[in-house]
Amino acid sequence: MTSVRLRWALLLLSALFSPLFASLFGSAGLSPGVVWQCMTDTCPGRVEDMIFFDIRLPRVLGALLAGGALAIAGATLQNVTRNGLADPYLFGIVAGAGLGAAIVSVLPDIGWLPEGTSLPVAAFAGAWGSVFLVQGLAASRWARTPEQLLLAGIALSLMLGAATHMVLYIGEPFAANKVMFWMMGSLTRLETPHLLLIAVPLFFAVILLWLSGRRFDAMLLGDKTALSLGVHAGQMRMLGLIVCASLTAVVVAHCGGIGFVGLMIPHIVRRWFGVNTRAVILGSLLLGGVFLVWADVLARTLLESQELPIGIITSAIGSVFFLLMMRQRA
Amino acid sequence: MCPALPWLKTSTMTSLPGLTAEQLSLSAGPTRLLSDISFHLPPGQVLGVLGPNGAGKTSLLQQIAGTSGNRLKSSGTIYWQGEAVQQIPLHERARRIAQVDQLHDSVFALTLFQVVRMGLIPHQPLFALPNSQDDHQVMSVLQQVGLQEKARQEFATLSGGEQQRGLIARALLQRAGLLLLDEPVNHLDVYYQHSILALLKSLSRRPDDGLTVVMSLHDINLAAAYCDQLAIVAGGRLLAFGQPAEVLTAELLERVFGLTCIVNHTEHGTRVDFCPSTAEVIQL
Repeated sequence: MTSVRLRWALLLLSALFSPLFASLFGSAGLSPGVVWQCMTDTCPGRVEDMIFFDIRLPRVLGALLAGGALAIAGATLQNVTRNGLADPYLFGIVAGAGLGAAIVSVLPDIGWLPEGTSLPVAAFAGAWGSVFLVQGLAASRWARTPEQLLLAGIALSLMLGAATHMVLYIGEPFAANKVMFWMMGSLTRLETPHLLLIAVPLFFAVILLWLSGRRFDAMLLGDKTALSLGVHAGQMRMLGLIVCASLTAVVVAHCGGIGFVGLMIPHIVRRWFGVNTRAVILGSLLLGGVFLVWADVLARTLLESQELPIGIITSAIGSVFFLLMMRQRA
Repeated sequence: MCPALPWLKTSTMTSLPGLTAEQLSLSAGPTRLLSDISFHLPPGQVLGVLGPNGAGKTSLLQQIAGTSGNRLKSSGTIYWQGEAVQQIPLHERARRIAQVDQLHDSVFALTLFQVVRMGLIPHQPLFALPNSQDDHQVMSVLQQVGLQEKARQEFATLSGGEQQRGLIARALLQRAGLLLLDEPVNHLDVYYQHSILALLKSLSRRPDDGLTVVMSLHDINLAAAYCDQLAIVAGGRLLAFGQPAEVLTAELLERVFGLTCIVNHTEHGTRVDFCPSTAEVIQL
């Protein structure tokens, strides 16, 4: 067995077993015996049943899906912009979601939407709103090249961030607090029905990217080369942006801002499995998921009596990782 | 008035097999990159495009490939095997025309194998499953350019000559009849210059599916040695087109390159030696 195959096998195994092991940790501990019993038969008691199936399992599975989705979003964006620093954050997607969240939190409750859903819905709308702005820029004369597109995304991101701060500054402190907490990311709000909302776009994204992987590979050598190989570079970039936006928007809407997963995971995957799109997509799906499952375990257990926002954990790990990676390169 | 004559001329020109350029012009804003270029290259021949820097060699190649981009204004038509290139859909075009660009590097570390395998893209549908047949095909073209041992090596770590041969292998995998190369022997040492050009010439001489090759070159003697036809381009105009012995005259070369030269026609081919006077060089 070659080392690459071994790595795939290990990654697959850890993606299968991480959710189970991770579900042992939390403010109310579950013993391995209880989890085993819940999985194979019925839980020993009503309380364990509720903790395992209603709280712990949706959460670890949600982490697995959200991590995979964010990592794939980042990988796709890096491919189509040919830039290793591309990340959904840089394209204003998260900033747009933040603005949406800020606006609904400040507004008085209008009661259109069921209790508790207005924030994810607004965040989702905000994320897509910013994607349309970026798409508009990408189609315009200003941002033809990937570099221009990235710069336009950063500018948009800062602009939306400024608007968010403005809204929060004018609004009441309680709303500001709520939005700040949401921006730091958390998997607490994930419930079983949300899992499907993330899983469905993720499933289609993986199938789409995997099947058209060769064409995304051709993008790596530049638009001219892609064109000469019969690949519409502009269209592929558009497709990549849409896939990335769909994944990021659903994740951000339910989990808030979780940074660095989309930036960091694809880099590790490329190092382990090579740069071809198919390997990067599958590897990012698995590794991103495993990473977020364990980052969430840290978020649940680091402090004695309360949870840390997961965005703090991923950004802390991610930034250190990035500096280490740069040192290795140099 | 009878407009039939230009139409008649067009139809006879374009039904010819091979590559035909018809009144090709290209401009970027007020700047004319190409003006009124027409020529015909029979299939299976090697054409070398010569000219000073900025003469329009790269523009001409991109125009033939149909990849100049829509920011440039173009007129005229390129026909390949009787079909207007601009009319052929992009994906289909890649099956008929292959391009080898000037060398570039990628941010991500692709292997030679992965770079060459991209040549299969034009023959695959948008959604394609991996296929073990693909790997055989890639290895077979790598063998044709003598790189089968380097397949798993990172593309960027190969020497210039190896990278160039790798890109030619990718073009072979496209199974296109027309191969366009932009300065394929730039940055290569003498050995590789000859080995690449000999490879291209031998590909054009394959009995069943000989390639038609168009490439831009700087070295006039190499061009004379390996090309069947030469096109001399300067200021976006085609000044001469024909066999090396006819095209390479001291008078024309002096006009194009601004340097005095001696042209020798021998039974081994044509040889050009530039021997500029100091006055000519100081003028620069």
